[in-house]
Amino acid sequence: MAATRRLQKELGDIRNSGLKSFRDIQVDETNILTWQGLIVPDSPPYNRGAFKIEINFPAEYPFKPPKISFKTKIYHPNIDEKGQVCLPIISAENWKPATKTDQVIQALVALVNDPEPEHPLRADLAEEYLKDKKKFTKNAEEYTKKHSEKRPAD
Amino acid sequence: MEQAIQPVGSGPFFHQICVTVETAHIRSTSSFIKPSPYVEITIDGQTPRKTETVKNTTQPKWNETFNLLVTPQSKIHFAVLDRNSFRKDTVVGEKTVELVQLLAHSEGRECLDVTLDLMNVKQSDSPVKAGELMCLIKGLRIETGNNRRREVLARRSSQNSIGSASQAVAHTVLNGIRIKPRTQGTENAAPAGNVAVSERPRGLQLPPPPALPVTPIGSGSAVNFQPGPVQTSPANHTLQNGNSADIIGPPASVPNGSVAQQDEQRQDEPLPPGWEMRFDTYGRRYYVDHNTRSTSWERPQPLPQGWEMRRDPRGRVYYVDHNTRTTTWQRPNLERLQHFQQWQGQRQNVVQQGNQRFLYPQYQAGPAPGPSVPAPPTEEDEALGPLPSGWERRVQPEGRVYFVNHKNRTTQWEDPRTQGQEIGDIDELPLPPGWEIRYTEDNKRYFVDHNTKTTTFDDPRPGAPKGPKGAYGVPRAYERSFKWKISQFRFLCQSNALPSHIKIQVSRQTLFEDSFHTIMRLPAYELRRRLYIMFKGEEGLDYGGVSREWFFLVSHEALNPMYCLFEYANKNNYSLQINPASYVNPEHLTYFKFIGRFIAMALYHGRFIYSGFTMPFYKRMLGKKLIMKDIESIDPEFYNSLVWIKENNIDECGLELFFSVDFEVLGQVVHHELQKGGDAERVTEENKEEYLTLMTNWRMTRGIEQQTQAFLDGFNEVVPIEWLKYFDERELELLLCGMQEIDVEDWQRHTIYRHYTRNSKPVMWFWQFVKQSDNEKRARLLQFVTGTCRVPVGGFAELMGSNGPQRFCIEKVGKESWLPRSHTCFNRLDLPPYKSYDQLVEKLTYAIEETDTFGQE
Repeated sequence: MAATRRLQKELGDIRNSGLKSFRDIQVDETNILTWQGLIVPDSPPYNRGAFKIEINFPAEYPFKPPKISFKTKIYHPNIDEKGQVCLPIISAENWKPATKTDQVIQALVALVNDPEPEHPLRADLAEEYLKDKKKFTKNAEEYTKKHSEKRPAD
Repeated sequence: MEQAIQPVGSGPFFHQICVTVETAHIRSTSSFIKPSPYVEITIDGQTPRKTETVKNTTQPKWNETFNLLVTPQSKIHFAVLDRNSFRKDTVVGEKTVELVQLLAHSEGRECLDVTLDLMNVKQSDSPVKAGELMCLIKGLRIETGNNRRREVLARRSSQNSIGSASQAVAHTVLNGIRIKPRTQGTENAAPAGNVAVSERPRGLQLPPPPALPVTPIGSGSAVNFQPGPVQTSPANHTLQNGNSADIIGPPASVPNGSVAQQDEQRQDEPLPPGWEMRFDTYGRRYYVDHNTRSTSWERPQPLPQGWEMRRDPRGRVYYVDHNTRTTTWQRPNLERLQHFQQWQGQRQNVVQQGNQRFLYPQYQAGPAPGPSVPAPPTEEDEALGPLPSGWERRVQPEGRVYFVNHKNRTTQWEDPRTQGQEIGDIDELPLPPGWEIRYTEDNKRYFVDHNTKTTTFDDPRPGAPKGPKGAYGVPRAYERSFKWKISQFRFLCQSNALPSHIKIQVSRQTLFEDSFHTIMRLPAYELRRRLYIMFKGEEGLDYGGVSREWFFLVSHEALNPMYCLFEYANKNNYSLQINPASYVNPEHLTYFKFIGRFIAMALYHGRFIYSGFTMPFYKRMLGKKLIMKDIESIDPEFYNSLVWIKENNIDECGLELFFSVDFEVLGQVVHHELQKGGDAERVTEENKEEYLTLMTNWRMTRGIEQQTQAFLDGFNEVVPIEWLKYFDERELELLLCGMQEIDVEDWQRHTIYRHYTRNSKPVMWFWQFVKQSDNEKRARLLQFVTGTCRVPVGGFAELMGSNGPQRFCIEKVGKESWLPRSHTCFNRLDLPPYKSYDQLVEKLTYAIEETDTFGQE
C-alpha cells in the first residue's frame, strides 16, 4: 500500500518523540489508515480531562489530507457537536504532501488550548467566549468534567 | 443573491403517474361506417401522447400505458379521435380530468379505474355523450397543495353526492367521471373484474435491470472487474463464492467518522431483511449483507419507499423502484436519490435546451471523389510512417491512391495520417477531371473548369479552403479555420455516407434501453445511413426535428445516475466523466461502446448532445497527451499536491513516496505499481519528473481505462477517430454540444471582481470586448475561463465551481506584458492590467485561441 510506509514512519516518529499532549495512539495492525489517540490539553478549562480523537487517512495520502474528528464530546467554539473540527493545516487550500501528522496534531492541540472564536464552527459558543469569558470557562469546565476521558497518570 | 433568475429546481414539482388506456365504447352514429379510433392524452396543453389506431370498431381496445409527469394541479385531457386518411381526424368525444379532483376522491389509493363519459361538443349546441373511455391510473399517491385539497374536500362534503370511504367498491361519480379503486394485488390475482379487458400484467412486470444481464461475467459478484491486486484485509469485500456467510469479514477500507456518527442516531431502527450487525476483532461495528454476501462499515439505510430488492435469473441483486418503474444495480441511498431527482428535474428543460443550440450552417462540401482520376501515387508515403491500425492503402486500377478503413468499411481519398493537418499539402492533391490551374498576371492562382468552361478562384479540390486564397492569408485566423475544419469533417461524412435510411423506433418510457438495443444490433456502418427516428405512439416524419430531439434525450438519459455510467467531474454540474464505479453494472462496457457509437453518430449526423465531457476526455478522444494541468479540472486537491512536489526539493522532507499508488473505489483500495518494481523504488529529487509523468498518466486513467477503450471502440466503428484530427478539444466540445446564445448582460451582472472594480479600465474594456465579439468568440472565452462553452440552465447566477456555486470572477494579476490566465475550477480569469483596449483584445484573443495550456497555467 502506497500510504502505508509513510504512515508507518510517521507513527514510529510520533511514538518515539514522546509527545505529552497526544498519547495512547492506537492503530489497527490491519488498517493503518485509521488512528485513534488521546489529546491531553494543558490549558484551562480543558486541562481537567482528555479527549479521544480519530484520524482518518485517505487511500491517496499524502496527496490528500487526513480528516480529524473528536470522539469525546467537547465544549469548544471550533469543534462542533458531531466532533468535526476545522483545521487550516489540513484544508484543501493549505495541504502540502510534506505536512506531517505530528504537525497536524500540534496544530490541533494548539487550537484546543487556544480557541479561535473568529473562525467558529459553533457560533453560540464563540459568542459566549467573546462576550462572557467567565461563563464560557465555567460551562466548559463543567462539560469537561462530565464528558471527558480520564487523563493519563504521568 | 440575485432574485431575478429562477433556479431550475424551484418550478412545480412533478410526479409520475401511469395511465393505461384500456378500452372505449363508442356510440355509433351510423351502422355502416365505424370509426378508427385512437386516444390523445394531453397534460396541461403540452404535446399530446397518442395510442395506436384501432381500425373500424366502436369497441376499441388499446391497453397502452403512458408514464406522465404531472403536478397536482394538472389537467389531463383525454380525446378519442377518428383516424381519417383523407380529411383531418375528427374528435369522437373528449373529457378533461382535473387531477386535484381525482386525488380528492381517490382517498389515498394508489390505483384507480376511471371511466370517462366522452362528450362531443362540436356536433350540437349542447355536448352530447358519445361514449365511454376506460382507463387505469396508477401512482396517485401525490400530496396536493393543502389549500386546494381542503377546498375540494369541503366542496365534496357539501355536495355529499358521492360515495364515502365505506362504499369504496361502488363507483364514484363526479361530473361524468366514475372512479373505482383497484389494488395492485387484485389486479394481478384476478384477471379482469368488471373491466373485462386486457390483463397483460402491469406494474409488477418490470423490466430487468438496466444492463440487461445477458452474458455472464465472473462469478456473479459485482465487484470483480478491477485488475491488479486488491487490498483485501482482513477479508474480501465481496465473497467470490463464499459457502458460508460466516467467513464474511469486515470491509476493507476504513470507516470514517461521519458514518459512525450517523449510525449512533439510527441504532434503534431495525436492519433491512438479510442484514446483520457484527463486530470485528477491534470492537468496530460492521454490517453483513447476506443478500449480496458483502460487508460494509456503513449501516444500511432501509430502502426508500417504493423500492424493492430483487434478483435476476442469475442470482444477481438489483433494485426496483416502483415509483418510477425503473431498475438499477446500485443500492439506492439518499445521495443517489437526490442526484436522481436533480437529474429528473432537468428533463423538462432538455428539449428546450436542444432547440437553443446551433453551430454554423452546414457547409457545402466539395465535389465527391470520382472513381476515375488518374494520378501518381504519393512518393513521400514512407516518410509518414505506418497507417493507423485498421487502415489500408490501396491503389485504383488507374493508379490513384485511396485508403480503406476496415474498422467501419469506408474508403476515402484522404490519407488518415495527414488529414487534419494545416493545409499546404493540398497543392499536392490532384484536381478533379477537366480542371486546370492557371495564374493571373499578378501571379494570383485561379482554376479553369473545362467541363463547364468557367473559371473560379475557389479551389475545387476537397479539403481546400473556399474563397480566394488571399482571404485566408492569415492561416491561423481562428474563426475561419474552425469553419474550415467543420467543412472538412462534413465533407468526410458526406463522402462516406451510405444510401437509404435506418429506422430507429423507441418508446419514450424505455428510451435508453430501446436505443441501446437498436444501435447495438445494427452493424456499425449502417449507423451512417440517414436516420429515421420514431417515438412509439407519436406519428410524425423525421425531417430532422425528431432525431435532434432523440439525440438530446438519449444523451441526457445516459447521465441517469441510476445507470452509474457517468458522473459529474468535480461537483461542477456541466462536464461528465466516466464513473470508475461503473462496473457495478455488469454490462457497463457494452454500454460504453453504445455511448461511443452514439456520440459518433451525433457528430456524423451533425446533431448536438445535452451535456458534454471534460476537456481531458476530449483530449483523450483526440489521442492527445494529457499533462499535469489537465488534472486540475477534475481533482484540484490532487493537482496541488503534484505541483508542490514539482516545485519543491523533496529529498529532505520525508515524503516516503515510492513508484506505486493507491486508489479507492466503492470501498475497495486498489494498489498499483507505476512501473515494474515500483514498490521498491523511492521517489527522489532526481527521478521525480518521471514519477510525476507516471502519476499524471495514472490519475487520468485510473479505473476508467476499459470503459474509455470501449467508448473509443464504439466511436471508431461509426466515425474513424482520425476524422477528428482537424479539431482541438475545445472545438470538439463546440462541435458536439453546439453553441448557445450567450446573454452578456446576465454574464456581466453575475460577475465578481478581485483587486478590480466594475469601473476599472481593463474590466470595462473586457466587457466591451465581449459585447463586440460574436457568439463563437464568447463561447470560446467562456470555455477558456470555466472549462466549458455551456451556460447553466438558470444563467450565470448558477455557475458552479469545484466547491459549489462559483461566480465568474475577474482578478487583477500580473503585468501588462503577461497573457491572461484562467483557473477553470474557480471560474476565474486572471486579467493583467493592460494599458489599452487594443492590447487587451490582442492578448485575450491570443490566449483563448491557443489551446496549448500554457496560457491556462
